[in-house]
Amino acid sequence: MASAAGIGRRPYEGRWDGLWLLGPLLLFLALLLGFPAVANLVYSLSEVRFTGLWSPRWVGLDNYATVLADPAFWGAVGFSARFAVVVTVAQLLLGFALVLALDPLIAKRRWLMAFLLLPMMVSPALLGVMYRLMLNDFVGVIPQYLQLVGFSGNLLDADWAFTTVAVIEVLQWTPFAVLALLTAYQAIPGELVEAARIDGAGSWSVFRRITLPLMVPALAITGFIRFIDSFRVFDHIYVLTGGGPGTLTQSLSIYIYRTFFQQERIGPAVAASMLLLLASIVVLRLLMAQMLRGSRG
Amino acid sequence: MTRLVAGLRWVVFLLAVLILNIPVIVTLLTSLKTTLDINAYPPVWLFAPTLEHYGTVLTDPALDFPRYLMNSTVIALGGTVLALGLGVPAAYAMAKLGKGTTTILPVVTNLRALPLVIFAIPFYLLYQALGLLDTRLGLALISCIINLPLALILLVGFLQDLPQEIEEAARVDGASTFAVLRHIVLPLARPVLVAVAILSFIYSWNEFLFGLILSTRNAVPVTVGATFFITSWGVKWGATAAAMMLSVLPPLLLGLVSYRYLGRAMLAGAVKG
Repeated sequence: MASAAGIGRRPYEGRWDGLWLLGPLLLFLALLLGFPAVANLVYSLSEVRFTGLWSPRWVGLDNYATVLADPAFWGAVGFSARFAVVVTVAQLLLGFALVLALDPLIAKRRWLMAFLLLPMMVSPALLGVMYRLMLNDFVGVIPQYLQLVGFSGNLLDADWAFTTVAVIEVLQWTPFAVLALLTAYQAIPGELVEAARIDGAGSWSVFRRITLPLMVPALAITGFIRFIDSFRVFDHIYVLTGGGPGTLTQSLSIYIYRTFFQQERIGPAVAASMLLLLASIVVLRLLMAQMLRGSRG
Repeated sequence: MTRLVAGLRWVVFLLAVLILNIPVIVTLLTSLKTTLDINAYPPVWLFAPTLEHYGTVLTDPALDFPRYLMNSTVIALGGTVLALGLGVPAAYAMAKLGKGTTTILPVVTNLRALPLVIFAIPFYLLYQALGLLDTRLGLALISCIINLPLALILLVGFLQDLPQEIEEAARVDGASTFAVLRHIVLPLARPVLVAVAILSFIYSWNEFLFGLILSTRNAVPVTVGATFFITSWGVKWGATAAAMMLSVLPPLLLGLVSYRYLGRAMLAGAVKG
């Protein structure tokens, strides 16, 4: 910590080094994260209105009870979980397939990666707007071509909205899976594959017995990162469907946003945030422990 | 046979690039079409390009678009500078003096894994009280928070690998920590500083949720401003597409130019976070 007490100080360290090096960051964090932490806790236990933000009325756990009894909350939890699982699995499969297909090409020409990584540079919100343009009934390329093949449905209606927002997420972030998996794939020692081939192993058994087992840690870590990122999805869904039709594509992030800004139910919205925080911490701890054990075993 | 396989790999690569980047490609084409061509059915792919929509977007006073671009630039630069200003000294204290590695570092790096929306409501309330709603400073502070985890992870990682002997010589000569940081560590750290700066800029530029919540008029960034086009400019797809292209261009160009750094930095930032 930033104590200037001098215990454990390095011989060359100035008396105030810890303070001026770490102090600004600590102050910044205390102000900008400390307040939100306290505010979240207090407001989640209070009834409060936009007109009296500084005079919250204590209501105990009422807000939590309200949220936990709200079917829309559970709908949002369900959507986020389903969405995260579906897009994570799709990204891993697609990313791995692309790595296997493209490694010989990219190994010799690193610059090809630049074009594969581009989608990640695009703001998800702007990507959402671009798809609005592409999905527009009158000028959009997608409906126009779909009409040519005889499909006249709307890709943002109740039947298709989930698929549409999931496909967009997969297309934007599969490059991340390619990047992460390619690094791991290229780290597999060539001699290992050579030796197996000399012993008469076919392509499939090399993949099955050498490549796949060695890729498991990278697949797990990549999947973990993509899962937590897509579980909190907000931007492109908000822009494309606003969580609709109805609440069909309402992720937990959108649920919290709507509850606060559109319905102005501050207490329940904050309580939902706290539940999300709690769930995140629990899930993170569990997965971390799991992965640590996995990487040792 | 091997040539056939190699050819197939190229086909897969080109298809993948095309499909992954199709939104940007279509938007670019739309932005260069006349309104007549945009409305053509079936869609036209060959047309005489025009820059009229870019002119409209950049000059029409009814659209606030140049201001959105300016806001995003100021917010992203501000957030990046703040994150580096707070992150570099702190990372040095962590990596070289062993301070805060078990307390502050994990707190900050774990931030990355938390859903941002958790902070949305308290920040709205805090900013309302402080008069920071709808200000660039307010959004730059948020950018800083968003980028701190990445900055600290990359900087601490770099500094830990930096051999102690390099600065020891200067220490023997009696150089202060500040002098060592300023004259020895910073110049050596230039590549990692550049990577952090570019990634921070891109992430800040692309941020949407807090822009949506904390800005209404004056400080609106392009990501939020672009959504205004849809509601208020529903029919003018050419102008919308041009605005979209101008909005994604800075991060796209940065990404293209520095993909080498970025790939590695993004991975390290994500994996260790």
